[in-house]
Amino acid sequence: MAVLQVQNIEKHFGRVQVLKDISFDLEQGQTLAIIGSSGSGKTTLLRCLNFLETPDGGKISVHGETLFDAADPATQKEKEVRKKRLHFGMVFQSFNLFPQYTALKNVMLAPELLAKNNPDYNKKATSEELEAQARKLLQQMGLADRADHYPHQLSGGQQQRVAIARALAMKPDIMCFDEPTSALDPELTGEVLKVIRGLAEQKTTMIIVTHEMAFARDVADQVIFMDQGVIVEQGDAREVIENPKEERTRKFLSRYSGS
Amino acid sequence: MFWTVTNAMLEGMGTTLELFALTLLFSLPLGLVVAFGSMSKWTPLRFLSQISGAPKWFGWFATFRPIKLIVDFIVWVIRGTPLMLQLMIIYFGPGLILDNNIWGSGNSGRFIATVAAFVLNYSCYFSVIYRGGIEGVPVGQREAGQVLGMTKSQIFFKITLLQMIKRIVPPMSNEIITLVKDTSLARIIAVSELIKVGESFMKSDGLIWPLFYTGVYYLLFVGILTLLFGYIERKLSYFR
Ligand SMILES: Nc1ncnc2c1ncn2[C@@H]1O[C@H](COP(=O)(O)OP(=O)(O)OP(=O)(O)O)[C@@H](O)[C@H]1O
Ligand SMILES: [Mg+2]
Repeated sequence: MAVLQVQNIEKHFGRVQVLKDISFDLEQGQTLAIIGSSGSGKTTLLRCLNFLETPDGGKISVHGETLFDAADPATQKEKEVRKKRLHFGMVFQSFNLFPQYTALKNVMLAPELLAKNNPDYNKKATSEELEAQARKLLQQMGLADRADHYPHQLSGGQQQRVAIARALAMKPDIMCFDEPTSALDPELTGEVLKVIRGLAEQKTTMIIVTHEMAFARDVADQVIFMDQGVIVEQGDAREVIENPKEERTRKFLSRYSGS
Repeated sequence: MFWTVTNAMLEGMGTTLELFALTLLFSLPLGLVVAFGSMSKWTPLRFLSQISGAPKWFGWFATFRPIKLIVDFIVWVIRGTPLMLQLMIIYFGPGLILDNNIWGSGNSGRFIATVAAFVLNYSCYFSVIYRGGIEGVPVGQREAGQVLGMTKSQIFFKITLLQMIKRIVPPMSNEIITLVKDTSLARIIAVSELIKVGESFMKSDGLIWPLFYTGVYYLLFVGILTLLFGYIERKLSYFR
């Protein structure tokens, strides 16, 4: 069964409808790329999955459990929303690292706060364990020697990799990336794409909003093309990008030809 | 003579310090309350926008935020008029309008009225600084905390608070240093603060140097505060 099932999501901002009848499934270990022009609703969709926006209609289920149902207010209680968020990890376009903490502490902070709720919480043992985990994640991101740096001492690419480690530290079922490289200089884009590619090889379940078509084609299993709030085309990544069936997809992709 | 003057000055300095400390004690927290008031999103007429087919101007009423409006008006009046005028209105006003000096008679009454005026004035100035500090923390910081499953209070105490403080310290130190010198306005209703003490030697002994000598006290006081705020800023300079 699919890890994630998104059914008929609708979202309005005031009178503008930003998402219309969005439905898709995502299988365990698969990578889904979402492409589409500016303003097509890609960010809004990821924000809905992470409960940063509340959809006006539709259902979101993970592992068969209904996390959100617009028709059922009981699924929208603040306290439960907090727990449900943990199914998803989010990497923002603008990194959003916490400036007052080192890279290591950025990664450890949320797991530490969460562990405090455990009945058998032991400050010392927990923080040793979480520190080991955080260091391992930073190492995996190629940042072993940057653990004690503050965000302003890191390059954009390094900051984004810390942000990825920070999201992974919560062990989410699904990692979401919102244009993880579009705030980066071209020479720093590669290092971030490389670690995401690594995650795909380890069969991390991911949704990536991206404008890097070659990356989407090579790394993603599935691709969704969105335009004006609707899914125009979805399918096998290579197929959609190399052989789009819809006219609108073709037109969009022609702008990227050559990449 | 120098020691007579110095002793008198130290007493005046005591009053100045007391006024300074009491103003901060009350206006620092009150300023935060005012800041929250000016950010209030309470819209009691919100339901108007739900009415289908309602005329367009209903929308204006639906976004009407009464608390914000009142608080912003007060802040505008207080920041838009001189503190010296506010001080006189607060001290003399009740006596003229109500025919009753609510502040009590003598020195203590004048001092209490002065503290009230200063607290009101500085709360409004501080509120603007607090608001800038709160709104200056990018939303992305709160959202990053949210998606990591943190509670509202964890987000406030572990993420936004320190970033707010860092933003607030420089404008706050400016305002507090201004307060040191503003205390001299209390003289207008005959509170025996530093300047008034210095001036008194002109009338009694025909000496002008005691008045100039008060400047040394202000300078020392501001010097200490400058060092203190510099220290805090340096403590917070490890991040951006
Ligand atoms: N908070 C908001 N309030 C009102 N309108 C919004 C808000 N957020 C997004 N929108 C609008 O919703 C539409 C979709 O925005 P969204 O950010 O999801 O697009 P996107 O596909 O991520 O675009 P981009 O590629 O530029 O990031 C846009 O028209 C945008 O102006
Ligand atoms: Mg976007």
